[in-house]
Amino acid sequence: MGEGWPVLGTTLLVGTTFGVVARQSGLEPTEIVAMSLLVFAGASQFAMVQLFSESAPIPIVIASVLFINLRHLLMATSLKPQLQRLPLARRLFAAFFLTDESFAMATGHFRRGGRSLAYYFTFAIALFVLWNMATVIGLVVGGAIGDPRRFGVDFAITATFIGIVVLAIQRPSDILVAFIAALLAGALALAGASTIAVITAGALAPVIAVFARR
Amino acid sequence: MIWVAILGCAVVTYLVRSLPLAVTLRGRLPEGASRYLEALPVAIIAALVGPAVVAPAGALTRGAEPLAAGLVIATVAWRRSLLAGVIAGVVAVAVLRMF
Repeated sequence: MGEGWPVLGTTLLVGTTFGVVARQSGLEPTEIVAMSLLVFAGASQFAMVQLFSESAPIPIVIASVLFINLRHLLMATSLKPQLQRLPLARRLFAAFFLTDESFAMATGHFRRGGRSLAYYFTFAIALFVLWNMATVIGLVVGGAIGDPRRFGVDFAITATFIGIVVLAIQRPSDILVAFIAALLAGALALAGASTIAVITAGALAPVIAVFARR
Repeated sequence: MIWVAILGCAVVTYLVRSLPLAVTLRGRLPEGASRYLEALPVAIIAALVGPAVVAPAGALTRGAEPLAAGLVIATVAWRRSLLAGVIAGVVAVAVLRMF
């Protein structure tokens, strides 16, 4: 488990940032806590905060989160051979805690020849507990900071997204996809179509990857 | 209304996490579809960045956000650290907005 500390530390920091940003955006503490308890997906929760602050319609919020999390279909599919040993109820329990981080750690464990499913459960549930603790810390701190734009705190969410994208780049076509998606969404928002900007740009840009050479 | 959105998001998130573990699909995804799904998270998150950099608060940026965004990209690419990038970006945007 030792190699998990950087991931746990980052989760604590990002979770605290989420609490701060969500509180700054005007969401109620109960709503913020419910997001971390029930949705438990970092990028999605940041996206929800941004879409709520733009008063996006509910179907747009839900569709955006669905799109952001579609990658979990691939991750769950990839973990299936290992989790297949469990009864259905345990598998459905395991699915709730599936995140980019728990997937990455578990995949590393299995690729090194590990067989223990306790590794996945311990790590994934530790992340859940930590994420929720960090959210509460952040929303307490976030209520005390004041006007977010003054210190550039509103940019923290944008910078977090940029960092996630940079760290997620695996092949040259990813860079092209990211720039096209960002520019298209920005152009749509400037043109007044901010509610559909993210989902349109996010759904169209990956088409580039389909036709890009490996 | 926010509660409806939160519960809806919780349901769709759990569905994509659990569906492959609950049902058995026959065969493999076509190559094109798996490439699309692999690129999707990068595209969605980048699309969230676009409006906040190009049109913060709904109007065309005066330059602070794109410059800070460039600094974040450079910092994270160099240090491989999310935290370093966020700190650099927040400080940069706070300073640049004074001009």
